Amino acid sequence: MSRLKRSGIFALIFSALLAAGCAHKPKNITDLPHGSAPAPTPPPDYGATQPPIRPNPNNAGNTGTGVGPGNVFNPRDNTHANDLGGQNNPGNQQVVVPAPIDTTAQDPSLGQRPPPGVEDRETLKGDTVYFDYDKSAIKNSEYAKVGAVAEYIKGHPESNLIVEGHCDERGTEEYNRALGERRALAIRERLVNLGVRSDKITTISYGKDRPVPGAEGHNDDSWSKNRRGEFVIEAQSPSLK
Amino acid sequence: MTPVSRRSSLILVAALWAAIPVLGSDPSIEIDIKAGKTRPIALAGYSPEVERILSFDLRVVGFEVVRSGANLELRGGAGPDVQGTLTEGGTARFSRAYPGGGLRSQAHALADDVVKEILHIPGIARTRIAFRRFTGGRSERGDRISEIVVSDYDGANQVAVTSDNNVALAPAWVPGRLALYYTSYRSRYPDIYSHDLTTGSRTIFAQFPGLNTSAAISPDGRRVAMILSKTGHPNLWVGDAGGGAPQQLTKSLEMEASPCWSPDGRTICFTSTAEGKAALFTVSPAGGAMRRLSTGGILNCTEPDWSPDGRFIAFTRASGEFSLYLVPAAGGAATDLRTPGEDPSWSPNSRTLIFTRGRDQQRRLSLLDVQTGHVEDVPGTTGNCSQPSWAR
Repeated sequence: MSRLKRSGIFALIFSALLAAGCAHKPKNITDLPHGSAPAPTPPPDYGATQPPIRPNPNNAGNTGTGVGPGNVFNPRDNTHANDLGGQNNPGNQQVVVPAPIDTTAQDPSLGQRPPPGVEDRETLKGDTVYFDYDKSAIKNSEYAKVGAVAEYIKGHPESNLIVEGHCDERGTEEYNRALGERRALAIRERLVNLGVRSDKITTISYGKDRPVPGAEGHNDDSWSKNRRGEFVIEAQSPSLK
Repeated sequence: MTPVSRRSSLILVAALWAAIPVLGSDPSIEIDIKAGKTRPIALAGYSPEVERILSFDLRVVGFEVVRSGANLELRGGAGPDVQGTLTEGGTARFSRAYPGGGLRSQAHALADDVVKEILHIPGIARTRIAFRRFTGGRSERGDRISEIVVSDYDGANQVAVTSDNNVALAPAWVPGRLALYYTSYRSRYPDIYSHDLTTGSRTIFAQFPGLNTSAAISPDGRRVAMILSKTGHPNLWVGDAGGGAPQQLTKSLEMEASPCWSPDGRTICFTSTAEGKAALFTVSPAGGAMRRLSTGGILNCTEPDWSPDGRFIAFTRASGEFSLYLVPAAGGAATDLRTPGEDPSWSPNSRTLIFTRGRDQQRRLSLLDVQTGHVEDVPGTTGNCSQPSWAR
């Protein structure tokens, strides 16, 4: 900003501060726009070079099996479905069922979801890793626990591991969902560095949706107990080996 | 707070902002937030039910509903359908009847006409919202069950879009359509679903390893921004609504969250911790470097939402308490809306914000009229509701 412009603004502010001592009508309210939002520009052309969409054979949900229908929303009054001239017209549109997203092109280093097995939350319960506020770095005090988990998984090749990431209540919902994932991924990264096969480890973030029972107070004691990564072993039943 | 001290603190904000050189800010935008006065209007001749609906619709947009003695008067007539004669200083502005539909939609249509006539903007009385509701039950896994609910903006006519007895959250409307995207853990993992509300048909839109969440649909409905962690960090990706491999837009080794689109579809605004505490950034959906959006020194900025008129970005400041803020879309001094709450979503006419208020299991939805500062809770959302999304 130029000095001239800035000094001009200071002059305005100075005189406004002088005037502020007197009661008078509010400044003009910012004009609200009339009519609708500007027309959208066409998106970049993704279509020309996209690979053909192939349903992922591991993806049981995409064709409807296992997903189950959602509920239908029936506007009660069809006469008011198309109101506001297009700004909000939730009734009577063409039905478009989006195609599933192609999940075949993915980074192989982040493990596939393990097939369902016998879920064990107890064996590694004592190794729950705790984090500092708004942080996902693994503290020195927690290294030994991650090491113990690494040894266990390496010693049980039939088992897969799920690392669950959690947060305390002080972040907003989606921010905490990402932060919980960041924590789980930090643990996973360390496990891989300790020699655990990367395809053995999956992450799930719950954000702040799963506070520890009994630790739901608005205080440091509860908060510190909720900033955690938990370990769940998915052991394969012998017949599937 | 008196108007004088409020104005002084706004001037103080302006002075602080002027002292900090800010690239790309527009000094000509004047934000006179919460300094507008409510306007009295008298209602007469309506049944209690219709008056209740009209009164809510008018209060939400900054009218003060009085019994008498106002320059503006709205009078109903005899007959089963809602009618309205609006007079200003004794002069008739309009006189209309609203046949068809139910009483509720008639009353909303009248309220919208009053708003159009007096405030010269389209009304919001016939718009819809989607939100997350905790039902109070527990799933088989022991999670707190939350479902997606759609309703009128005033909380009436609520319909559960999901009844999976699982954890569904973060609904996002497809602009202009009766369709939603949302996140659900019904597979045990957080996946993004797309759900056509006219047929009930839905598909899993994204189920990559790791996190799939925070879907935001472009204004033309053709692209979906989302947070995926499949390459090892929660980053921002964009995919075609019709399918195909998504494109990675951010590659920070930290985390990104809660994207939103500019109304022209050219920019995505989102939260990132790439530079320390959570701040707002923008990126082009076509790719390129992410850029910090200045918020005048305010940090812990999350959950941005871009106003449909393109001018402002509302967001949550999460510094201990949650509170609502506005920043000009080009960046600059952020304005404290002095409203405790989180996760704002703009009305289609860019005047009202719906947001989540309260804490613990008592969170509910609330409406803030940005111009006057009037706050009105959405009835019927006290059963622990959050993450509202306003249909556009």
